[in-house]
Parts: sequence; structure tokens; C-alpha cells
Amino acid sequence: MSSNKYFKHEGPWSDSNDPLMCSDTGDWRTKRPVVDKDKCIFCGFCAIYCPIQVMEMVEESYFSPDLDFCKGCGICAKECPKNAISMMPEGDFKK
Amino acid sequence: MTEKKKDNLTKVMDYLKHEDPFSKGVAFCPGCGLELLLRFIPQVMGNDIVITGTPSCSAPVLLGQNNQSWHTLSYFGTLMTGAAANATGLARYYRKAGIKNTVVCFNGDGTAADIGFGNLSGAAERNEPFIYICYDNEGYMNTGIQKSGTTPFGATTTTTPFGSASKGKNLRRMNLALKMAMHKIPYAATATLSDLDDLAKKLLKAKEAKKRGFAFLHVFAPCTTGWGFAPENTIEVCRRAVKTNYFPLWEAENGKIRMTKTVKKPKPVSTYTELIKKFAHLSQEDLQILQDDVDYEYCMLGGLSLLEGECRLPASLED
Repeated sequence: MSSNKYFKHEGPWSDSNDPLMCSDTGDWRTKRPVVDKDKCIFCGFCAIYCPIQVMEMVEESYFSPDLDFCKGCGICAKECPKNAISMMPEGDFKK
Repeated sequence: MTEKKKDNLTKVMDYLKHEDPFSKGVAFCPGCGLELLLRFIPQVMGNDIVITGTPSCSAPVLLGQNNQSWHTLSYFGTLMTGAAANATGLARYYRKAGIKNTVVCFNGDGTAADIGFGNLSGAAERNEPFIYICYDNEGYMNTGIQKSGTTPFGATTTTTPFGSASKGKNLRRMNLALKMAMHKIPYAATATLSDLDDLAKKLLKAKEAKKRGFAFLHVFAPCTTGWGFAPENTIEVCRRAVKTNYFPLWEAENGKIRMTKTVKKPKPVSTYTELIKKFAHLSQEDLQILQDDVDYEYCMLGGLSLLEGECRLPASLED
């Protein structure tokens, strides 16, 4: 999986012509964060505290995780002041 | 509705002006405090930083593997015994060549407090123009959770286990940040991940202070694997460490200490230790020793910060 599509800028002293390494960390997850759009007050605490920084703004009205890389640590659900994020078992989503 | 929601957005977002140079899927444990810190630094300070680092938890990601890397920053891998000395060389080269960038020496507490302290102290004394960031996970987490100089009293590690002959670490921790502040460097500070606006301010201040010389940041970054707490509690552990005065937040310019966050009614240290498995065995007496140590350190810090208004710096240092 190449991740170069995520970068617009390259550091001036580095050579990253080779594709960057990128693990499929979404595979590690046992619980998945599910955002309740109505409860979300758009404070952004989930986004700043997310260690992987995968919470993305959607239409400037709520946040949603990038499930390709979310490791499922649950910090977003714990830090959400309105309890708008719940951690659901990953097994419920697999067919 | 959308406009109203936009006002709620936390002020920390304003500090994140630059792109995250790391690839999304990197090999850190879920809930790792170090990963948040590592992604936060270039987003605040800019991508024109050169990181030097040592074998540590951060090395597998910062150093890369084979010909590939996990990020677009420049990285220079050094030995633990010479981290600050290598950063000195880099910083001096860039200064001589007239290249404007920031050298960041990014190490764990093992390098900063134990193995590489000699040349860290030397670089601080010579006032070399770079930033030294120590992420403190209170032990050698990458090599299998051994104790280090900053491991607190009573904590179980693989070299200070809990059993019939040993009751965890029987020595008190050292205060690395205070030790560095006493080098009277332009900037020394402590920070943690629950107060990200405070951390961002200190990173920017360190970048500014780097023009005058050495800057040191001590960042409290809990380790879910080594300490034994649930991954979602990483930020909560940081928050309680600040609220119990276990890890007070302060900064020191030229050795003048100023508290950046004072807790009016500090909670007992047991509210912090109850979250963490490495303290699970502590008896009331042991907890009291830890509490006394925390109180003593805070008292010492409080006394030093009271002197802020009274102490006169040498005239050459006053702006």
C-alpha cells in the first residue's frame, strides 16, 4: 500500500522518492470508533488527541476516523466531552 | 449551524500549521503517547527540522528500514552514548554553512537521564544551538521494560520485579528537567500530552530560544505496554499526573523557573497510581513514600519559582 498520496510536501533535506512504508494498521483493530453525527459538537478533541491523527473533518460539521489506519485504541471515545463516539466490536462489521 | 459548530473547535488546532510528515500506518503500539508527540512536533515546529535519535522506541519508525522510511523528515541515527554530541556537530555545521533549520535531538529518558547524560550536560554547558526533547516513559521500554533513572519509587519493571525479594524499585526517581534547568540554559521546560496547547507553546518557545542556545524539553509520554494500562487511558494518565503534581508543568528561562500550570487542590497520588498496573502492588506505606517524594519535589520547585521575581540575572543575559 503506497501512502504517497497523503503528502503534498517533502522535507528539504530528505529523499523520499521511494514510496514511504505504510503498515496496514487498520488490521490491528478489535474495536471500531463509531461517531454519532448529531451528538458531535465539533470540538476537535478526538482529532488532536488521536495518536495516529486519523480523525478527519467531514464537511466542517463532524469528525470521522480513517478506518484504513485506525488502531482502535479508544482515546477518541474516552476524550470526547459529549460521549459522541462509541467503540463497537469489530466483529459486528465483518460479513 | 455549521458556523456555530466551528466556534467550538479547540484552539490547539491553530498550532497545527504544518503537514504531518509521517506515514499513516506506523509501527507504534495502539494508544502510544510517543506517537502522538512525534506527529505533533513537526506539525507545530514545521517540517524543516532534522531529527537525531538513538536506538529507542522511536528508532524503528524514525530510522526506517532498508532503503525506505516512514516519514519525509531528515533523520540521523546515533549511539546512545553520543546523542547530544552528534547533534552538536550537526547544529554547528548548519550554523557554519548558513543553513537555517532546526536540529532536534529526540531521545527517551534512558539516553537523556542515564546513558547519554554526560554529553547532554556538556552540550547544555556549551550552550549549543539545538533543541533536546526527552520523551519520558520512565524506563527502557524498547528493550523490554528495564528500570531507568526516572522510574519512580515502587514501580515494577523487569529488573525491579515484584516478588518475595523485591517490591519494585526501591529508589526514588531523579528530576531530569530540574537538573537541566540548573544548567541555566536559555530554555528548559516540562510538558505532557494532556495539555497540548501548553506543549505547542513550549515547542515554539524552544524554537525561538534555540537562536540563543540550548533548549531542553522534558515530555511525559506514558507507555501502555510497559506500565500496564488500557490504551484509551493514555491522555487520562497524563492528566492525572498533572493534577496530582506527580508531573508538574513549568518552564525555566536562563534558570529562572516559572510554573505554567498550578493545581489549586492537588489530588492524592493514589488517584494516579490506581490506573496503572506497575503500581498495583503498592501498600499504604509505599504509597506514602511516593506521595512524600512527589510533595518534596513540588515543594522544591515551588520554592525555586518564588524566587523568579527576586533573582537578578547577569546583565549580559537580560534582554
